[in-house]
Amino acid sequence: MGIKHLYQVIGEHAPDAIKTGEIKNQFGRKVAIDASMSIYSFLIAVRSEGQQLTSETGETTSHLMGMFYRTLRIVDNGIKPLYVFDGAPPKLKSGVLAKRVMRKAEATDAHEEAKETGTAEDVEKFSRRTVRVTREHNEECKRLLRLMGVPYIDAPTEAEAQCALLARAQKVYAAASEDMDTLCFDSPILLRHLTFSEQRKEPILEIHLDKVLAGLDMDRCQFVDLCILLGCDYLDPIPKVGPNTALKLIRDYKTLEGVVEYIEKDPKHKYSIPEDWPYKEARELFFNPDVRPADDPLCDFKWEMPDVEGLVQFLVTEKGFNEDRVRSAAVRLQKNLKGSQQQRLEGFFKPLPKTAEEIANIKRKNEEKNEEKKKKQKSEQKAKKETKGKPRGTA
Amino acid sequence: MEARLEQALLLKRVVEAIKDLVQDCNFDCNDTGIALQAMDNSHVALVSMLLKAEAFSPYRCDRNIPIGINLTSLTKVLRCAQNDDILTLKAEDSPDTINLTFESSESDRLSEYDIKLMDIDQDHLGIPETEYAATITMPSAEFQRICRDLIALSESVSIEATKEGVKFSCAGDIGNGSVTLRSHTNVEKPELNVEIDLAEPVALTFSLKYLVNFCKASALSGSVKLCLSNEVPLLVEYGLSGSSWLRFYLAPKIGDEE
Repeated sequence: MGIKHLYQVIGEHAPDAIKTGEIKNQFGRKVAIDASMSIYSFLIAVRSEGQQLTSETGETTSHLMGMFYRTLRIVDNGIKPLYVFDGAPPKLKSGVLAKRVMRKAEATDAHEEAKETGTAEDVEKFSRRTVRVTREHNEECKRLLRLMGVPYIDAPTEAEAQCALLARAQKVYAAASEDMDTLCFDSPILLRHLTFSEQRKEPILEIHLDKVLAGLDMDRCQFVDLCILLGCDYLDPIPKVGPNTALKLIRDYKTLEGVVEYIEKDPKHKYSIPEDWPYKEARELFFNPDVRPADDPLCDFKWEMPDVEGLVQFLVTEKGFNEDRVRSAAVRLQKNLKGSQQQRLEGFFKPLPKTAEEIANIKRKNEEKNEEKKKKQKSEQKAKKETKGKPRGTA
Repeated sequence: MEARLEQALLLKRVVEAIKDLVQDCNFDCNDTGIALQAMDNSHVALVSMLLKAEAFSPYRCDRNIPIGINLTSLTKVLRCAQNDDILTLKAEDSPDTINLTFESSESDRLSEYDIKLMDIDQDHLGIPETEYAATITMPSAEFQRICRDLIALSESVSIEATKEGVKFSCAGDIGNGSVTLRSHTNVEKPELNVEIDLAEPVALTFSLKYLVNFCKASALSGSVKLCLSNEVPLLVEYGLSGSSWLRFYLAPKIGDEE
């Protein structure tokens, strides 16, 4: 999922690109949320005693529970969410998807087996792995969103790409997804953990692409090439290339073309590129994904009043939710839509660009920190080795 | 950098006034004085302070030095100073700590503290020069009272300035209330004057929670200046001695356009 180790790379080389804060600090902003990813995480996480929540007739309701209450939390904090659903996956993803289907099948078998012989813990573990988002889940979530008055859109292909485009076109402030490849799709700002449960107390992470690029000292082309090398959804990773090597290879050879040439010509054959590795197509997908343009009439979003009776009918009558809680939630939805909205200062005062001196300062400090970290790691390793080297019982 | 302040009270009060709004901030020192600009966490309010070199005696600073400091720590140390103590700030060119000394004005007591500094990465906002539609000067205690009275009823206040005067009104669950002030000149007690300078009528709504917070600066100055224009943040200014100032900006609440 996403780009392997990208978060770690950013944390190390461009720490100022990541801001953490509380959800309420995002108030007054519009955010495009990757719906498919969220629904998947609800199906996994919204559980009671390890079992998915179900209605009386045994239908799963975890996704609706998650969608309803987490969206409500977002709205309560003054954020205007809009959801983007996945369309058909691009062809290149079929490899990854096939693998996922295989893994699901394995997990389903293991789940069955665990039910027979394993511990309760195993059963729960495998049951989580068998989770799949079906068309019905998606349709039910869309129906719920319509009743809540929250807008959504179907992306032609990848939801992250559509979220990124909406953010780039300033239709929304940021794209919200856990998937780091949203940055490859050129989203200026990525929010993570937005749809997490309140109880997890995870701060919202705000990742700024321009600062990532400045910190890595790369342009967008190089950044996308780096991400492909780190490992994306579309291509198999190159064996033995981890985050450090990937970064070094791109720094040394600038582009994937250069890297590929180097690997092929390397007499020592240190790395080997997988047989089928159409990196140019993958790059094309990141640069020109199939998305709805921002001026499409479908991209005009309106937040409307919730249909209270509709919500009660759907959630209470059909799905067995508690009526009082649904009604009080509907009141909160109404309240947040009405009334005057607190503005943010950024709407009036624009940040001044940093001076060259300040930028150099930040960079220097970051390098110092990384140096220190490395030294610490080394000394720790050394200490470990020394303790290992000692024969037992002499201490 | 070295700056000597005749009375520790000034810095104590400034920090006291802003520490609930911002936790960490940079004091930017250069040859003209010490400046501070910081937004609150939710990016609704902004504090801006300028202590000009003239406010100190003497003041010396040859380079631009940002002094990033945690205001809670600073408060702790400033509590160790008596109001009338002579306060001296000292920092090196690229400092790790800031040194504060307090000299008692009455005895030979001398106390000295160092506070560790921090790297604070914050955006500087450009604040455009604005010709405000209405400028209201009033006793700071009066403004504080209005805010405290009205927050009992509602979380926001609408400020309406017209030819007749300025009206602060609010409406909440239990009812509504308003306070109206007119231009007023008191010859005997000029500190009670209310002045309204109006180019055109304005009406704006603000969060009272923030205004009450700003009022913590009331101890710094007998009068406060409110500057309003439609669709821009409110400016609340407390003048300090020697044309230094402490300013607060607050983004308005606006009825939804959609």
